[in-house]
Amino acid sequence: MQPTTDPVASAVLAVVFLPFVAAGLVPLVYRLVGERTAYYAAAIALACFGLVASQYGTHGTVSFPWIRSLGVSLSFYVDGLSLLVGFLASGVGVLILTYSGGYMHGEPSQPKYYASLLAFMGSMLGVAFAGDLIALFVFWELTSLSSFMLIGHYQRQESSQYAARKSMLITVAGGLFMLVGFLLLHAVTGEFSIVYMLENPELVQEELRSAGLFLPVLGLIGVGAAAKSAQVPLHIWLPNAMEAPTPVSAFLHSATMVKAGVYLLGRFRPVLVSDEWQLLFAVLGLTTMTVAAILAVGATDIKELLAYSTASHLGLIVAGFGFVSELGGETGAFHIINHATFKAALFLVAGIIAHEAGTRKIENLGGLKDDLPITAGITAVAALGMAGVPPFNGFYSKELLFESAWEAAVHAGGGLAYIYPAVAVLGSVFTFLYSIRFLMLFFGEKPTGLHKVHSPPKAMLAPPLLLGVIAGLVSIGGVLGTFGIHFGPFDNFVTEVWASTVAPDADLHGGFSYYFPDHLTPAVAMSAVTLVLGAVAYPFYGTLHRGVNRVTDVNVLRANWYYNSAVFGLNGLSDRTSRVVQNGLLRTYATWALASVAGLALAGYAATNVALPEFTNFAVTIPIALVLGVAIVGAVAVSIAPSHISGVLTLSILGFMVAVFYVLADAPDLALTQLVVETLLLVIFLLVLDKLPAFYGNTDRGKMVRDGVLSAVVGATVFVTVLVSTAATPEDGIAQFFLEEAVPQGGGGNVVNVILVDFRAFDTMGEIAVVAMAALSVLTLVAMRERGETQ
Amino acid sequence: MSTVIARTVTRTVVPIILVTAIALLLQGHNLPGGGFIGGVLTVTAFALIYVIYGLDYLEEELLHRNRDPLLESIRHGIVENYQVAFGVGLAVAVVAGLVPILFDYNFLYQSHWYIKPLPIYGKLHVASALAFDLGVYFVVVGALLTILGVVGTE
Repeated sequence: MQPTTDPVASAVLAVVFLPFVAAGLVPLVYRLVGERTAYYAAAIALACFGLVASQYGTHGTVSFPWIRSLGVSLSFYVDGLSLLVGFLASGVGVLILTYSGGYMHGEPSQPKYYASLLAFMGSMLGVAFAGDLIALFVFWELTSLSSFMLIGHYQRQESSQYAARKSMLITVAGGLFMLVGFLLLHAVTGEFSIVYMLENPELVQEELRSAGLFLPVLGLIGVGAAAKSAQVPLHIWLPNAMEAPTPVSAFLHSATMVKAGVYLLGRFRPVLVSDEWQLLFAVLGLTTMTVAAILAVGATDIKELLAYSTASHLGLIVAGFGFVSELGGETGAFHIINHATFKAALFLVAGIIAHEAGTRKIENLGGLKDDLPITAGITAVAALGMAGVPPFNGFYSKELLFESAWEAAVHAGGGLAYIYPAVAVLGSVFTFLYSIRFLMLFFGEKPTGLHKVHSPPKAMLAPPLLLGVIAGLVSIGGVLGTFGIHFGPFDNFVTEVWASTVAPDADLHGGFSYYFPDHLTPAVAMSAVTLVLGAVAYPFYGTLHRGVNRVTDVNVLRANWYYNSAVFGLNGLSDRTSRVVQNGLLRTYATWALASVAGLALAGYAATNVALPEFTNFAVTIPIALVLGVAIVGAVAVSIAPSHISGVLTLSILGFMVAVFYVLADAPDLALTQLVVETLLLVIFLLVLDKLPAFYGNTDRGKMVRDGVLSAVVGATVFVTVLVSTAATPEDGIAQFFLEEAVPQGGGGNVVNVILVDFRAFDTMGEIAVVAMAALSVLTLVAMRERGETQ
Repeated sequence: MSTVIARTVTRTVVPIILVTAIALLLQGHNLPGGGFIGGVLTVTAFALIYVIYGLDYLEEELLHRNRDPLLESIRHGIVENYQVAFGVGLAVAVVAGLVPILFDYNFLYQSHWYIKPLPIYGKLHVASALAFDLGVYFVVVGALLTILGVVGTE
């Protein structure tokens, strides 16, 4: 199937912006219908799902100008991959929001919850459909922001705050790396359009290489994707994010947020795929897959187990995308779908367990199948899929990974490259182990202390059931595939997603289809090894579990330890810094501000190699010399003035001399202003002087030396700045324009005034607004102080 | 500071300052001056009165009234008048900017006319920018006097 129809602009726009508008209306809706807001939100998600579905089979761009002067447009691109993520975000959104109706019953601050969930869904849809680098970045960071709100939902709990801050720090920082990568891409290609890059992948990669920026761009985009998709060592935010209410965990960590990272890799795969790409992402993905699977075995909490498992499966997808061959793209595309179905189902199951059994500790749970038979059935399908046990859905995509890893090893000529398949098998063994452990929550004996578990409400049971059925259908599809019966539409869809992740002219081997293997291939052998090793190791699960925990108790081996040390260390540092820099003394503030401004300015001049201009035509007339001489005397007198009165008076000498200098330099307007302001200052000083202490007090010598040096430096900076800035003589200065146009256009002979009230009147208006504002602030501050409201 | 000399000089100088300030405001478009300078100079005159005669003098002796101020902490009712002054100034400036829109020009568009046959003076050059400058003047006077009054009270 070759989709050629163009997407409908209004539908695409509606998909992205409807959730935001709906989020804005949530407080109103909540006031009207209370807790049933969940169904309102679910209806919105369903509408989005419908809109996404209506664009199924289209392919193309919808574009609106945004920042014309920079070539940035608000454009949306519809293809297989974006439709897939769109379907996931909105479809799982429907289920999650329905489920929330049951789960969030009686929970606090629900309007905020639904509003941020809807906003999150909208940002995710924006990420999926963005056809422009800047638009993609904006929506990308919006997902970070809204997930911050969601993860920190229980905002009074310290652990929630910690988790929300951590995810925000890591994902937003990762996004900034990605932004730099995008800007480099723009610098090389001159385009912000993703579509352009997808249409000319070879050209773009060639340009990047010749500019020597290929590796930096690859690395920067990789950091962004790794932060979002929780790749080692940035995976640490994901387990903490389980602080969020369970539906949020299911949404963020199965279907959407973390998928943004793999989506990014899929999106840029056609453009950046290369040997370096394979080395970076195959290694990163396989490492994550294995490390996270091992950590999942060490987990003691069911949501923690699932969180690590998510990181592990994302590693699998990243590794899939990492392999250069077409198979790699296929692996990633297919596993995104499989993972979303079984992981969302499992998270919802975990929510049911936590909600109904009242605990999430693995050791306190067991034998749940008698009380929760339907849930047990769902879990069996989903967990076996997650384990990669044939014939369940995860098995097929893992087969693809094994196949591409094997192929990559063979292609590379063996040797070290066989580490790829070996690590893939190792990771899968641990995946098998923790998946079975999760399943065993429903079997075996009920531990003492676990009371009778109630059945969950229907709203909570239906969504995981639906997901389980989908996972089951995908599984059955594989078995049927062996007999030559395929789900045509499903295979077509996966083909389209696959096509989005490979170069436009790649060979797709006649499209995607999957079936239960009927003859021995290396991949089948690897699967068999995995299952056998897993089955052999399972009886020793307890030992492994303790072993993993013993290893992760060692600080230097934990990524989290580095994070905590860095964050808390920096906190301490900033506390100490603010105690030194902002100690409440005006003098200190002035010292730091002046010193840093002077330092930065001088460093800037030094860094840019500014040359001081030559002194030509440097002639001083006698009057000017005289005036400046008196000014210098005044300046010296200020610094040695014994009292405030004489200080102010001598300062005025300096001011008036400057005014006279302006007169001599043919600037009467400036002179007048200087004169008047100086007079006013003098008068105001006299007004407040008798309130001040008569003496300066005794300052110690060290401080005086410091202040002296500082004033010398500031003076030198200003001097150099004036020299440097007046040395520049632009070719076509604007002065001439004002001189010529002042009378005909402004109707005034005083050019300065004409500029103020005519050419730049808008600036002046802003300035007088500021003056008025300053007066109001003084008034308010004084009034507030007396009322004691400034605590 | 209130010596007889200072009082006498102030009494003479203040009217001169005020006249000069207004002259500066009016001639600003063609000669050195303008709303800002005129405003600051006007404030100087008031400040001088404050220094020499004290803060209460202006209100009680010159304006003959003793109003209760809006805010308890600010003892001088006249501060409210100052606030009105910069409020009015801001409004004048904005209106001066908006009027050209009525005549289908840009915001803040300025024009100027010559009123020719005038007795004695000859011809008078009127620029619409004067309205805007007047706004600037009032804002500067109002705002600076507010600050002066409030801080001076402390």
